[in-house]
Amino acid sequence: MTGQFLYNNLYIYLFISVFLLCAGILGIAFRKTLMGMLISVELILNGAGLNFVALNRFLDRDNAYGVIFTLFIMGIAAAEVAIALGVILLIFRRYRHIEGEKLKDMKE
Amino acid sequence: MSLSELMSLAASISTRIGAYLPDLIFLAITAMTIIGALMTVISRSIIYALMGLVVVMFGIAGLYICLNSPFLAMMQILIYVGAITILIAFAIMLAGPMYKHPGEWRGPIRFAGALVAAVLPFVFLYKVLMRTDRLQAGVDEFGITTKEIGRALFDKLTLPFELISLLIVVAIIGAIMLALLSKGEK
Repeated sequence: MTGQFLYNNLYIYLFISVFLLCAGILGIAFRKTLMGMLISVELILNGAGLNFVALNRFLDRDNAYGVIFTLFIMGIAAAEVAIALGVILLIFRRYRHIEGEKLKDMKE
Repeated sequence: MSLSELMSLAASISTRIGAYLPDLIFLAITAMTIIGALMTVISRSIIYALMGLVVVMFGIAGLYICLNSPFLAMMQILIYVGAITILIAFAIMLAGPMYKHPGEWRGPIRFAGALVAAVLPFVFLYKVLMRTDRLQAGVDEFGITTKEIGRALFDKLTLPFELISLLIVVAIIGAIMLALLSKGEK
C-alpha cells in the first residue's frame, strides 16, 4: 500500500512546474510594471527548480545533481534579482515611472 | 458497552482518515502553490502579488519536503522568503507608492493575448508529457542527504560552485555601481 500515495507520483510535480512556467509567462506578458515582470520571472525559476528536484528524486536516486542544480538556480536568482532591482531603481530615478511599455528611449 | 463501541468507531474513523492524511496534506500544499501563483499573476496590486509570491515559496518548500529533500526546503525558505522577497519589498517601497494607482492591468485584449501565450505552452507540454513512456520506475526511499550534497558539491562540482560565488560577487558589485552611478548622474 505504501508507494501509492499521491505525493509519490512524478506527474503531479511536473504539472505543477508546467503550471508555474505558464503563470510566469502570463505574468510577463500581462503585467505593466517592471516589478511585476520580475516577480513572474521568479515564478518561472521556481518551476524549473521543482522540475529538477522531482526528476532527480524519481529517476536518478543515487546522484544529487538535480538538487545541486536547484541550489545553483537559487544563487543565480539572487544575483539576477539584485541586478534587476538596481536597473529598475535607476529607471525610476530617471523617468519617474517603471512601466515597461513607456520605456522607448533605448528602442531606437 | 456503548462507550466501547464509540471508542472502536472513533478508532476506525481515525485509521481511515490517517490512511488519507498524507494525500490531504499534499493536496493542500499543491492547492496553496497554485492559488498563490494565480494570485501572483492576476492581482491588481503589486503588494498582493508579492504576498502571493511568498505563498508560492512556502508551497514549493512543502513540495520539496514531500520530495524527501528537507535541506532544499530550508534553503528555499531562507533564500527566497528571507532574502529575495524582502529585497523586492524594499525596492517596491523605494520606487515610490506605485500601488496607489491601480494601473497594473493592461486591458482585456492584452489579457487575452497573454492568456493564449501562456496556455499554448501548457497544452504543448501536456501533450509531450502524455506521450512519454511511463517515467515511474518504482518509488524507493530517496537517499540523498545533506552530507552527500556537500560531498558532491566539493568533490565533483567545485568549479561551478566557485563560479557561482564569483557571479554573486560580480552581481553585488554591479548593483552597487548602478546605485552610485545614478546618484552621481542626478
